Amino acid sequence: MTGLLWLASLLLVGLSGLPLLLHRAFAGYPLSTRLVLAGASGAALVSFAMTAAVLLGIPWNVPGLVAAGAVLAAGLRLFLKPALVFAADAPRPPEPGESPRVLAAAALSLIAVGAALGATFAGAATSPDLLFFWGPKAQQFALARTFDAAFMRDEFHQHMHAYYPPLVTNLGAFASMVAGRMSWTGATLTFPLLLVFLAAGLPGALADRLGRAHAAAIAALTIAVISCLGVEADIAGNGEMPLLLFETLAIALLISEAAAEPPTQLIAGILLAGAAATKVEGLPFTISAAALFFLARPRASRPFWPAAGRLILPAAVMLSAWFAFGASRRIFFGYSGYGTLFDLHLDHARVVLAAVGRSLSAAGHALPWLVPLGCVLAALPLTRRWILPIGTAAILTAFFLFTYIHRPEDPSLWISWSAARIFSPVAMLLALAASLGSRGEPRPASP
Amino acid sequence: MKVDKRRDAPVSPFQPSTFNIQLFPLVGAAILVAFTLVSLPWKENLFRRPRTIFDRSAASAVAPGYALVAAAVPVIPAGATVVVRTEPRDPIAETYYHRFADALLPGRRALPASFYGRFAPPEVSRDAAYVLIVGAKPAEPPGRLLLETPEGTVWETPPRR
Repeated sequence: MTGLLWLASLLLVGLSGLPLLLHRAFAGYPLSTRLVLAGASGAALVSFAMTAAVLLGIPWNVPGLVAAGAVLAAGLRLFLKPALVFAADAPRPPEPGESPRVLAAAALSLIAVGAALGATFAGAATSPDLLFFWGPKAQQFALARTFDAAFMRDEFHQHMHAYYPPLVTNLGAFASMVAGRMSWTGATLTFPLLLVFLAAGLPGALADRLGRAHAAAIAALTIAVISCLGVEADIAGNGEMPLLLFETLAIALLISEAAAEPPTQLIAGILLAGAAATKVEGLPFTISAAALFFLARPRASRPFWPAAGRLILPAAVMLSAWFAFGASRRIFFGYSGYGTLFDLHLDHARVVLAAVGRSLSAAGHALPWLVPLGCVLAALPLTRRWILPIGTAAILTAFFLFTYIHRPEDPSLWISWSAARIFSPVAMLLALAASLGSRGEPRPASP
Repeated sequence: MKVDKRRDAPVSPFQPSTFNIQLFPLVGAAILVAFTLVSLPWKENLFRRPRTIFDRSAASAVAPGYALVAAAVPVIPAGATVVVRTEPRDPIAETYYHRFADALLPGRRALPASFYGRFAPPEVSRDAAYVLIVGAKPAEPPGRLLLETPEGTVWETPPRR
């Protein structure tokens, strides 16, 4: 029962995003997509409100945090003007044979979510990181009603990575305050729960460009990729699923027709901020995705500075608040590395590549990467928008290899338990890139 | 309200290659879903409620430690100091179980028997008021036995002078 309450409380953070997503600029999205975008935006805003409250010395309380998140969303809403509404203005005519394909895709997504749920219930997908640091920090912060600086500084808590960004622990603390205590089972069930949210929201985010049937097929592929990876690499309860939720929705919006509109850019910016506030690798993802958007969508991203502000400022503000906390309490002053920045151990390059290959092969024979890659190849030639997902995947891959080669010791063991998880966004990006074929484009593609 | 000029472009709803382009992601999704279903632990009675959240995961080796630390919650009072050891001693498992004690015993202070895969100096955990031993009952009891489970034992140590 506590687990259900713990999980259900996360729906409260979604309320915070409603003032923003209720704006008529988003009326063109299906209701399910609008609610999921509200939930994800609300989660990012409530997490920011929690960090800001700590900086201001205000102890957390649940109604106050939900209200603060909603006030932030309402404030952001003031920046939005009534904008064009794609689907509502001109509903797209159904394609011949659309319904059976939409149903088939929906059924595949449903089974993929069911598999994730079954694996999680069976205790077959739990990440040890939940017990090692995500959960204990969330639990302690809920008890303290703030970031517990003494707990973070404790010499026996070094393994809890005090500098890791705060969103997962913030939302875990939020749910623990509502439920009265931490629920470990509830935390593991965030994997299927967020996957079902993604399955509900993603098709609508892709449909303005692809049409319902193709959007549903790409969404099914993406959900199947994440489900398979989650079960194979044991991501239940750690930061991977929230990270993938934010990143997938952000990229889906940025490759859509609606990405030319300021409201969509603002939501994409909040989602990218959510990714940056979830895990360390969310920051390179955010920077690459925002930068490559301008390269991939030159017309959609004009004028440059306002678009850049919408995409980058939310992440800059959220991470600034986090680092301001770390610096003000003298706990951390940035992300911790594994050595001097350019002190690379190139002699480890072969070991690193072999270990990454082994790790990806061990996660479902690398099918979560190979299958979407095959779909990308089948969709060739791609529209110019490919630069965004494929470029981000390439930059992330380079970042991970750089990080692994950075370590003075043999990184094989580290890679064996981390690579499949941290390379999961690359698989998701390939799945979304499979939607960018230029053959069969239903209308002239605008870059 | 602005009008999206792009919507006015003639829509060709079904070009010859469209169906194939949509078919590939569907087939890809079907392959991955089938693989995921096959990889579920059906042979371990998937629908039987697991004892711990790690029972059928890749980290199932730590499930006994999880079960013992979780079972110890009612017998270890708030504010107490705790150490988790294994029998026989295993510094890697003890490193994990120290972290489990931090997670599952909130309000108590967990002292490490091992840290980052190495035995910690004995004085680090010498003053622990409670000792959890994952594995066999030790030949030399560390104190008064409070709890015994299939995964191990929980002991209250005598007060130090």
